[in-house]
Amino acid sequence: MPTKITSWSEYQVRERPPPPPERVSSHRWFTEDMDHIYREVRDELPLYVQRTAEEKMRNHSLAGMRASHEVMGLLLGGRFTWQGREYALVRDVATTELEASEYHVRFHEDGMEGLFESLDDLDFVYSIVGWYHSHPGIGCFMSDTDVRTQEGSFNSPHHSALVLDPVRREMEAYHMVEGNVVLRALGIYWDLHQDPYRG
Amino acid sequence: MEIEVTIRNAENGSVLNMELDPNTTIEDVIEGAAEFWHKEAGAYVLRRGKKLLKGQSTVADAGLKNEDVLELIPDPEGG
Ligand SMILES: [Zn+2]
Repeated sequence: MPTKITSWSEYQVRERPPPPPERVSSHRWFTEDMDHIYREVRDELPLYVQRTAEEKMRNHSLAGMRASHEVMGLLLGGRFTWQGREYALVRDVATTELEASEYHVRFHEDGMEGLFESLDDLDFVYSIVGWYHSHPGIGCFMSDTDVRTQEGSFNSPHHSALVLDPVRREMEAYHMVEGNVVLRALGIYWDLHQDPYRG
Repeated sequence: MEIEVTIRNAENGSVLNMELDPNTTIEDVIEGAAEFWHKEAGAYVLRRGKKLLKGQSTVADAGLKNEDVLELIPDPEGG
């Protein structure tokens, strides 16, 4: 049965300065290519991931490695503009029970309510700015399934995909550019008064 | 009787209002919203509060009421 949209409104992207360079670093799991693009655009990064969000993803991928399966979750934060450029912040991640094997992962239907509960528990108004998943032992890349997910859900400029390989200890990020998946530079940031982050 | 609900796009914070017939399925609602935002309908679920709305159920079955706020959430698949 057809549905009728009666009105809509676009989200107004807020102005907010990105984390300052002294509180942003690369990551020891970055591949050579990731490290290279990080160095190229480190003063104007399109994506910043909060250190505790990064720790959660990394620990999640390591737990999945011990159980020999992939893991997955959502990147939560927001998009902002500053001096004419847009960037995304990942302030937290959320996950739940998974339907997972060595080469496949998705949320288990029974875990959805737990996922929604995590979203409701956040202390900020979130946007889902992308997703992360792991490739235990096979390296970082975007498989055909991953690309389909990126095209179907995360096809806006501020959306990213993060892939972690907990066996090789590698991390890469990607985004869509004119229908193609390409690497995306990211920096790990920490908040004022947190200890300097060593990755 | 028709009702009107608000749907929030969790990926970008945009919202839309949709008029629904009690016999409309949740799948149709997802399809309408996904099409509006240029997304793949099959890659999304719809929630009301902590509850997942089942695709096959109708607006009436799901107990949706006028002015309910729903959220469109991506349901990614990795390989
Ligand atoms: Zn993958």
